[in-house]
Amino acid sequence: MSYHLLLCYLWAFLLLIACDNPTKNPDPITLEEGTTVTDAPEEAEPSTPEAAPAQPELGYWVGDFKNAVEDYSKDVVVGDGFYWNRTNKITIALDKIEGDQVWGHSVVAGNDRPFEGTRTRLDDGTYRYEVKEPGDDRYDGTFEFVIQADQVMVGTWKAYKKIDISQRKYQLKQRTFAYDPDVELVANRYYVEWDKTIETEEEETYPDGSVEAWISKEYATATQEIYTLNASNTALTKAQVENLKRGDLTIIRNAIYARHGYSFKNRPLRVFFDAQPWYMPVHTDIRSDFTELEKANIELLLRYEKNAAEYYDRFGRG
Amino acid sequence: MKKMPPSTTTALDGAKERPWYGWLGLGLLCGLLGYGTYLMWLITAQYWPIRLDAAFLNLKQDALAHPYYAYAFFGHVFSSFVVLLAGLTQFSSRWRAAFPSGHRRLGQLYIGLILGLAAPTGLVMAWHANGGWTAQVSFLLQAILWWVWTYWAYRAARQQQWAAHRHYMLLSYALTLSALSLRFWKWGIVLLWAPPPMDTYRVVAWLGWVGNVVLVYGYVGWRQRKEEGEAIF
Repeated sequence: MSYHLLLCYLWAFLLLIACDNPTKNPDPITLEEGTTVTDAPEEAEPSTPEAAPAQPELGYWVGDFKNAVEDYSKDVVVGDGFYWNRTNKITIALDKIEGDQVWGHSVVAGNDRPFEGTRTRLDDGTYRYEVKEPGDDRYDGTFEFVIQADQVMVGTWKAYKKIDISQRKYQLKQRTFAYDPDVELVANRYYVEWDKTIETEEEETYPDGSVEAWISKEYATATQEIYTLNASNTALTKAQVENLKRGDLTIIRNAIYARHGYSFKNRPLRVFFDAQPWYMPVHTDIRSDFTELEKANIELLLRYEKNAAEYYDRFGRG
Repeated sequence: MKKMPPSTTTALDGAKERPWYGWLGLGLLCGLLGYGTYLMWLITAQYWPIRLDAAFLNLKQDALAHPYYAYAFFGHVFSSFVVLLAGLTQFSSRWRAAFPSGHRRLGQLYIGLILGLAAPTGLVMAWHANGGWTAQVSFLLQAILWWVWTYWAYRAARQQQWAAHRHYMLLSYALTLSALSLRFWKWGIVLLWAPPPMDTYRVVAWLGWVGNVVLVYGYVGWRQRKEEGEAIF
């Protein structure tokens, strides 16, 4: 009898070994290239075109970059309470205007693209702009906008190629960008990491014999802790971060990037930070912008984040 | 070394036919032990070749500032795994009857490694434990009890007091197995309630070994009631 038992266990054991490692998750933390900490010395924030106020149109125009066509089928809906209508925050920078020639760039969804074009004067004294992106990127297109007398940039954008959302509309306000380590997160929107889900099949048998099966999804989220720690102006200690769950660590770390005006490729992070009233996407590469304090905090946070991602729900200590 | 006479009590439980639920219980226990040991192998293997930035050590950077910590850590993980293996077959009366010298050799390895390496290094690690004083006290207590119970078990064997030897070895191995139970508790608690990591850690720091010790005392009491008056140990 014990011999059979032994065989059974050997068999079960082999099956288990064939499964994935129960003591460690594969590393699911994705670091965007533009945010890696380098040893390069700290540089001053590049000065924004504020220095040339002669042309009031120059500078950053910030606001929602919306789908021009109402299309709910493209919305991201997560559970009951969370949805994203695919609107991104965009910064359109007008960098140089000479006569009717216009140069600038736009920063949205982790994409920093130059454009150039022309402007024509309208009867009411405002200008109508038509500028084109180079066309060598899948998401390039043409911007058309006017800057109204009330200082609102209103316009549309059309992609050259056939992409998921190929027409956008926007109403942008002019803003200056200044890095402020003291700016705090506002409780505007939940962080829901919908692109990484843990799916579990569930089943319930009712008294009448019918069976209902469904797939329940779990997402990393953040708690209220994210509003209590600012990793740009406080040197975080081990004691402050060791009891935080992964979603909180992720937001606290990425808030550093957001304060530097980093434009997020990662969608859940982008949606979360786009909702912060102070946030504007102006850079896709902030590697040389971090303060020493931020570098130390990023290292600490990443260490705990990686540990949480790899080991939190596994057999082991961390 | 003095040759030990064959135990007089092991024949007693070995000779008895095991009922079906006995087999089932034993099977489940062996399966759990085997699987847990395999998982501990996976965990231990992460630290070889020696790396100071692997897994748990990632969260011990402040402790690693003391040069002795790395020695204590690696001494602990590698010796504890051997201790875990050495103890696996020691409680089977059949094996003990079949290979008495194997029992003695493995026992010497088990005792030597705990007293000389695993428990003292555990004490050093406990001093630097994550989770503040709640976790530190638990791990310190555990390391001390591990050493003391293992030593008493050894002393009892030398004095040929087999009942006492068996009793303290059960307690010693209960603490050895806290390596598994702590991690099973942690996995279950996170699965059910997903509390913050350090809260979980403080809870399992205690649950991990106290639960096992309670089980041993429960088992000893049960055996005593079952045998009623018969000498079990």
